[in-house]
This record gives sequence, C-alpha cells and structure tokens, in this order.
Amino acid sequence: MSILERHRKLTAIWSSEPGFKGWFSTVNHTDLGRMFLVTAFFFFLVGGVLAMLIRAQLATPDSAFMGPEIYNQVFTMHGTIMMFLFAIPMFEGLAIYLLPKLLGTRDLAFPRLTAYGYWCYVFGGTMLLVSMFLGIAPDGGWFMYPPLTGAIYSPGINTDFWLIGITFVEISAIAAAVEITVSVLKFRAPGMSLDKMPIFAWYALVTALMILTGFPPLILGSVLLELERAFGLPFFQAELGGDSLLWQHLFWLFGHPEVYIIFLPAAGIISTVLPVMCRTTLLGYGWIVAAIVALAFLSFGLWVHHMFTTGIPHMGLAFFSAASTLVAVPTGVQIFAWIGTMWKGRPELRLPMLHILGFFVTFVIGGLTGVMVAVVPFDWQAHDTAFITAHLHYVLFGGFVFPILAGLYYWLPHFTGRKRFFRLGEVAFALIFTGFHVTFLAMHWVGLLGQRRRISTYQAEDGWTAINLISSIGGFVLAIGIAIVVIEVALHAVTANRGKRNPWKATTLEWAMMTPAPAYNFASLPHISSREPLNDDPDLAVRLARGEGYLGDSGPGGRRETLTVNASSGQPDYHVIYPGNTRLPVFMAAVTGLFFLSLLLKFYWITPLAVSGVAFLACRWVWTLGHRGDLPDQPVGHGVALPNSIAVDHGSGWWGSLFLLTANATFFGSLLFGFAFLWTVAPGWPPPALFEPSLLEMAAGLAAAAASTAAIRRAIRANRNGQTVMPSLVLAIAGALVLGAVIGSLMLRTPGPSAHAYGATLLVLGGYGLFHAALGALMAGFLAMRVRRGFTSPVRRAEFPIVRLWIDYLAVVGMLVLLAAHVPGFLT
Amino acid sequence: MAPAGPAARSIATLWWVMLIGAVLIFGLVMILLGLSFRRRGAAADEARHIRVWIISLGLAFPAAVLLLLLAYGLVIGEQLLPRNNPEAVSVQAEARRWAWTFSYDARPERTTQNVLHIPAGRPVDVAVTSEDVIHSFWVPRLAGKIDAIPGHVNILRIEADQPGTYAGRSAEFSGGGYDGFSFTVIAHDAAGWDAFLMDGTE
Amino acid sequence: MKDILRIIIAPLVWLVTFTLVYGLHGVLCGHDLTTLMIGKIPVARVLLIAAYVFAALVQLALLAALHAPRLASRYSFVRFVSRATGWVGLGATLWTLFPVVTTSSCGLAM
Repeated sequence: MSILERHRKLTAIWSSEPGFKGWFSTVNHTDLGRMFLVTAFFFFLVGGVLAMLIRAQLATPDSAFMGPEIYNQVFTMHGTIMMFLFAIPMFEGLAIYLLPKLLGTRDLAFPRLTAYGYWCYVFGGTMLLVSMFLGIAPDGGWFMYPPLTGAIYSPGINTDFWLIGITFVEISAIAAAVEITVSVLKFRAPGMSLDKMPIFAWYALVTALMILTGFPPLILGSVLLELERAFGLPFFQAELGGDSLLWQHLFWLFGHPEVYIIFLPAAGIISTVLPVMCRTTLLGYGWIVAAIVALAFLSFGLWVHHMFTTGIPHMGLAFFSAASTLVAVPTGVQIFAWIGTMWKGRPELRLPMLHILGFFVTFVIGGLTGVMVAVVPFDWQAHDTAFITAHLHYVLFGGFVFPILAGLYYWLPHFTGRKRFFRLGEVAFALIFTGFHVTFLAMHWVGLLGQRRRISTYQAEDGWTAINLISSIGGFVLAIGIAIVVIEVALHAVTANRGKRNPWKATTLEWAMMTPAPAYNFASLPHISSREPLNDDPDLAVRLARGEGYLGDSGPGGRRETLTVNASSGQPDYHVIYPGNTRLPVFMAAVTGLFFLSLLLKFYWITPLAVSGVAFLACRWVWTLGHRGDLPDQPVGHGVALPNSIAVDHGSGWWGSLFLLTANATFFGSLLFGFAFLWTVAPGWPPPALFEPSLLEMAAGLAAAAASTAAIRRAIRANRNGQTVMPSLVLAIAGALVLGAVIGSLMLRTPGPSAHAYGATLLVLGGYGLFHAALGALMAGFLAMRVRRGFTSPVRRAEFPIVRLWIDYLAVVGMLVLLAAHVPGFLT
Repeated sequence: MAPAGPAARSIATLWWVMLIGAVLIFGLVMILLGLSFRRRGAAADEARHIRVWIISLGLAFPAAVLLLLLAYGLVIGEQLLPRNNPEAVSVQAEARRWAWTFSYDARPERTTQNVLHIPAGRPVDVAVTSEDVIHSFWVPRLAGKIDAIPGHVNILRIEADQPGTYAGRSAEFSGGGYDGFSFTVIAHDAAGWDAFLMDGTE
Repeated sequence: MKDILRIIIAPLVWLVTFTLVYGLHGVLCGHDLTTLMIGKIPVARVLLIAAYVFAALVQLALLAALHAPRLASRYSFVRFVSRATGWVGLGATLWTLFPVVTTSSCGLAM
C-alpha cells in the first residue's frame, strides 16, 4: 500500500461527517480540540469586552456610565467567564487537541465523552450568556459569598444562573479530566515509559488530577447554596445553624488549586516551547516532574490564605501562611530550570519566544506580589483592594495568557499547515505587553492608596483619578493588541500560504504527521525509545506514514483502532476499537441541559423526566460497546498480538471509573468535612433535636452493603470459572436496594431539614447515598442484561470489575452515611 | 499609605522591606534572562547546570528568602494580636447594609452611627460582627482589616497615635450600596474621650 | 499505577496530616481548650506538638520506604522522582506545621 492509499483508507475510517453537520456528530479529538479552543477564545473576547466596560466605568470619578446594578453584573461575569468559560476550557481544548499527537496515538480514551463534555460546556456557557443579555446575570462577585448570595439578599434568578450554569460547565471539566488522566496513563505509543513522556503530558496529567480533586468542593458548595435558595435548607444561615464560612472554605478549597490548574498547563507550554526556541533540551526533566507534583499538592494546602481576614486564629493563619510561602519554592525550581535551559541553549527571538519573555517578566512580578500577600499582616491591609486585583491579573495573564499566546503562535502552523504572511504578531505583542503593564502596575498603586476592589465609582477627592485614567488607557491598548492577534489568526486561516512540515525543528511527535493533522494522526504508531523521537529519527514521519510502525495494517472490519500501554513501562497492553461518529453525545448533553434548566426555571416536574432521559441514554451509550463472541488476540505488528479491551481485567472503562470515583469521593469527603465543620464551628449547635437512631435499620443497611460487595465479588469468580453469575448479581441488586430503602427511611425521618443545618446536611447525605444505591442497582441490573444477551464470557470480563468498583463505593458511602446519621443519637 | 498607628506602621515597614526585596529578586531574574542571550563558548555539562540552576537558584535561594520572610511576618502578626492590656478599650461594631453601629463597653447605653470614637494613644479592641451579609471593618491608616461575619464576633486591635479623624471603609462587597459604605473614626485626646463618654448626645 | 502512587504518596500524606493538624487546632480553639493545664503542662500545645512530631515521623518512614530496595520502583526515573517528592513531603511537614511551636494558638491567647 502506498502512503497515499493508506491515507485515503484511514481517512475514510476516521473522518467526521462533512460540513457543519459533522460538528454535531464528530467524536474526533482533533475536531473537538479545535472546537474547544475556538469556543474558549470566543469567551475570552466576551470577557475582554466586559473588562473594557469596567475600565471605561472606572476611568473617571463619579462615573455615570453604568449604575451599580449593571456594574455588579459586569465584574461578576468578567471573572466568571475568564475563570470558568475561558481558562479551563482553553486548557481542555489544548490538551484534547495535542495529547494524542504528543503521545503517539490516534485518539483519546473516550471519544464520545470528549464530545459530551464539549456540548455541556457550550450549553452551560450559553445559559450564562443568555442571562447577561437579558440583564439578569449573576451579580454577587465571582466568588459568590453567601449570605449576600442567599435567597434573602439576592432574591432574583441571577445567582441561580451562576450556581446552575457553572455546575453544568463543571461537568465538562470533570469529563475532560477523566479523559485526560486515562489517556496519559494508558493511551501512549509503545515504549513510551513514564520517563519518556513529553513534559506537557506530565503537566496535563497533574492538572487533570487536580481538576478531579479541586472541582468537587465547588460543585458541592453550589449544590448546597442552590438547595438553600430553592428549598430553604439552611447551610449558610447563621441563625439556623449554618455558617457562611462553610462556603468560603468550600469555594477556596476549589479556588486556590484552580489558580494552579490554570498555571500548570501554561507552564507545560513553556516547558515544551522554550527548549525548541533555544535549540536544546529541557534542563532537569525529573526535577520538573517532582516540582509539579509538589506544586499540585501544596496548592491544596493554601485555601485559607484567601480568608486571612475572617478572624481565624493566628496559628491557623500561620499554617497557611507557611504553606503559601513554601509553594513558591517549586515554582522557583521551574523558573530557574527554564532560565538554565536558556543558558544551556541558544535562545532565538522568534514570536513564541517574545511571549515567553512576556511571561517571565509578568509572572515573576505576580509571584513576588503573591509572596507579599502570603504574609498575613500585609494581607490584612491589601485584602479586597485593587492591589489584589492587580496581583491576580499578573499571575493569570502572565501565567496563562502569555504562554497561551506563545503556544498559539507555536502550534498555529500545526493547526492550519500554513505559515504567517503578515507580521502583525510582533506589533500585537508590543501592544499587549505595554498595555498590560500600564494597566496593572497602576492598579497595584491605587490599591495601596486604598481603592477597594469591586467599587463602581469613586470621588475626585479620593485622589485616584489620574491613576485610574492611566490604567484604563493601558487597558484599551491591551485590547487593541488582542484585536490584532484575532485579525492575524483570521488572515492566517484564509491565506493559502503553505508552510513546512516542522517549521520549528521540534523533536516531539506532534510534528511527525502532515499538517493540518489527519483525522487518524498517525498511519502507524511509533516505537518510542527517548524523549526526542524526531531527534533520533528525522524521517520518522515518513516511516510512520508508510505503515512501518504498529497497527500499520488497518484492523478488523475497518474500525477505528489503537492500542494502550502499561502505565509505567510503556509495554503494549490491550487493543482498543473506538466508536464512530454519533450524535448521542450532543443529544445527551441537551437532555442534561434540560435537567439543569428545569431546576433553574423551577419546572420541577420535568426534572425526573430529564434524569430518566440521561439514565436511558447512558445505558444506550454503554450498550453499543462490546462483542457477543470471543475475539482472538489482535496482531498489531512487530510480532505483538494484544487482547481486546473487553478481554482484560482493567480496561479503559475501569480506569475511567476509578478516576471518576476519585472526584466523586472528593465530593463526598467535602460533604463530610462540611458536616464536621458546621458541627464544631458554626453558631447554634448542637441542634435542637438529633436524628432518632434505629439499631435495626442501621444493622440492616450495613449488612446489605456488605452483602452487595460480597455478591459482586462472587459474580466475578463465577464468571471466571464459567459458572452462572445471575444469582450473585441479583443478590448485589437486592443489597443495593435494601441499602437504598434504609437510607430513604433516614431521609424521611430527618428532623426539620429547613429548621436547622443539621437536618439539612443529613438530608443531603441521605440523598447522596440514595442516588448511589439507585446507581449501583442500575449498574448491576445493566450487567445482568449484558450477561443474558451474551456480551460476557470468562474471557470477555471487563465489565464486571467496573460494576464492582461502583458497588464497593456504594457500600463505603452507605456505611458512612448510616454511621453519620445514627451514631450521634446512640451516643447521647 | 500614611500610617497613623502602630499596627499600620509595622505593616507599612513590612511592605517597604518586601518591596525592596522583590525589586532585587526581580532584577536578578531579569539579568539572568538577559545574559542568556549572550554568545557563549562551549556549554557546561548537564549535571553542573542542574547544580547551579535547579539546586542552588531554584531550591536553596527561594527557600532561604521565604523562611526569613515567613518568620518576619509571623513575628509581626503576633505583635498585632489583641493581648491583655489594662490600657485597652473595648468597643463593638455591628455592620448591616449599609451602616455601622458602634457601642462602647465603658458606657454601655451609648451608641453611635457610622462614627467610631476612640481615645488616641491607647489600644482599642473592636469586636466586629454583622447582622446581615459579610462586611469588613477597615481603617487603612490605623490597621489591617477584619471581616464582619454573621454569627461570629471577630476582634481587631487598632490604635491611633494622635487625635484626629480617620476614614474607615467596609471592604467586602455587599451589593448595591457598597460604593459609599464607609465610616469615620474620631480619635480624641484623654480629655476629649472623657467628655465623649460623659456626653449624652451624638 | 503503583509507580504513580510512589510519586504522590508523600505529598498526599502531608496534605492529610496538615489538614488534620489544622482541624485539631480548630477543635481545640473552638472549645476553649487552649487554656487547659494539667499540672504545669499546657495540654493543647503538647497535643499539637505531638501531632507535629508524629507527622514528621510518618514522613521519615515514607522516605525510608522509598529508599528501601524492596519497596522502591524498578525504574530509575520513578525512583528519582518519588524520592524527590518524598523529601518534599518531609520538608513541607517540617515547614508548614512549624507554627505549632512558635505562634500563639488562638487569636486571643494570652
């Protein structure tokens, strides 16, 4: 087969539907990555326009440009859009587009999940945009502190848009994070052991794990606040045993890691692009990996530093002040490793490099002011002033936007296969760099003079007029720079100026393919023996296109296929057949959207319909996978034959479930933390009446939990030995149902959920347990159907361990919920 | 930044120390960046690069600086805490949207709206709380800020060196009336403070 | 997966102990236990310091385990990174929990 024939054949298998219809049915990571990036950039522009409105408002004293009602919506939406609808999706888009190419494989682990996440993001983002155009956008500040955002002080629908819309968008972040984690761990080219992964993959892996553990506290906070607003369950009302500080803890438990979730991918871009710009390799790969792991964990120990003024005892503050200064050390390691890389090589001032220098200047200042506000007494003065606003913009613009622009110009030839014609980028850089520093240096200054953040206007006597005007002018210069970038990219896309294949002479795998990238990425997969595959073999691209690597001969029945590797060693593990184009993801995202919409508009009769719709579609989703007959091991070339993914113990679905459950467990852990926090810290505890415990119910529940995990284990053993599994599965279902019934009784008997935070929290704990009981029963029932229809055999066993994971999780959750509800009653 | 009390003053000193340190570090990083563009002869080996850049500059240097800074910050933080002091005066501040009510332990029946009277030259412990949403009590020239949180009482120590009038602000976003939500602190000399406590009027 | 675990275990344990010590401190302050004395020993302070020492010992044990030939990874890269993060765990424990020795425990501590 010639290169061209192979290309045609693979394109026929892998390509999306032509035209715009293809957008709705594509599950290909290249398409979806581009769609993510374009959408995120669109939201960046929207957020930028809002920023210009803010600067226009603050340019003069006693401004009558906007009243506070509108202004409060504008700055809330500016922060919300930039954080949730620009920064995180931008990372997701970049990772989705790049990772399979960097890792030498053909697609991500769960192509349909990528599409589902994208559509959740689009629909959730649209909800927020609609609220803005209707003038009913959230207006409580992007961190939404109750009681201000509670039903009493914010009775309108504005806050609900935030809580529900953002939760909807978070689904996409969680989906992408599961996707990225499993893909980096399993979906790599053969031979790519952990030490041979491109450094960006490490950054993406760590970031994804941080999303999985950082976002659930915010989702929990949003759920609780929405429950309080909609149904009067008092989690944050001091007079009913709640505490507004609980929100701050949950929010910043998310909010601080979020900063690093945004920074790490950008640092990944620097670590990828900088060595190429310096014609060398990255200094201290292993050190950097250790530094980013350290950074990830340390960033979870900083959340209270946003709460230094809330009256937390000084020793408590000291812990977090210490952690906040310590987190600067791994950042320092990275900064100096990069500078060392530059000393090691020969830096060239090309356009991506300019943006990297912009990053250095800006981010180092942001880091230094960050250390300043980590020092408790200084923060007591600077907190909630424009100094903080300026600091966070130095960190986020320096630590994210400059690297993203560097990455944009670095990978632009890859996205389009073209080269730049007009040299507008250099002008744009100069404007952006100057404009940014003028805007935000001035803002530091006015903050030190006492200007609070979030004020809509000030008086001439305050003496801030000139500084604010300078700051606003800088802001508009910055905006013009961004506009030029947009123009340049648009021109780039429409001019037919073909570029070379690897214009930067990079050594990573994404350049070992034609550009723009074909739908299948690689006609055959490389064998990796170092971190610079293109350095080892400059002709790698041609040899792969000739089919000399793995999977060179397209597999069974012209299906999309790839292979996975052992996470540590990079040895080939199993063979994967992907699903093709489908509209199921967009459809399921729409039904998910219906669920959120029904909550937002309080059409509660629709909610159960939407939930059943999602459950039904999810069953269909999974049902289409698998085979009814055993498959022989699939030869993948080079004398290797691999089992199919359904004929292994730990297939992709198991890995995906494991990481989804990690996020889920963080959610549950945050809920337990909230319970303990309210019990020990909130005013108005202990509650007037405790839950009436019942030894019988508790014992029945605990027994049912134990029985269902034992039963699913028995089912796995029986399947392996070729015995009948049905009785065990029925027992597992029965166990889940009994556990659900006991928890249901708990919820019915909860004392006064709307009268005290105690009852409210128990109700939520019960609801969480009940949901998992229903889910466990559904999954075991689904597995029973699969067994009946012949989708399983002693060899085709991959679905059993997945159900086991969820049943085990249910058992643990059920037990903890029962203990949390019953035991305090027994003790008193 | 024109500190007029011991707390604000030690924070201002802290700021100037940190600013100088930050400028020096920033300068160092920029010089190192700039020098990397120099033309150079044979490159040093990787192990040496790692020793110089990662271990010395990346690990040891920031760790040393940050430890010092942390210790300095904690010492100042300790000094600013409200401690037992027979001189200290206690007042209460309760915030609501958008007004402050101040009351005085020395004269329990006396309250003032949006104006806090304190004696100059004596430490004052302000017990801050809120009856609706979260606010923050901040007199920039006297001390840092502390939040007013419903259901909690937080104590901030302030002190004015000289009699005078100081602007105070609420520094936590509280919705529509946030822009103009401010108050005034009037520091009296000893005679004026006694007169204030005796006087029955506003 | 075990290699990933080796890499994250020490900082993960740091995060757990850090949060637990913070929680312990919160409980002690919340219930006014900081002024409790048994004989001449301030109970709260002793408890906190004990927790600090315990956390540091756990980190030392982890570091030893990561260096032990029987428990360390087969891959030199993972050995390097996991030992580096092991030192991070120990260093972070010593650094971030140090305030239990030096600062006053509750805001109004005398």
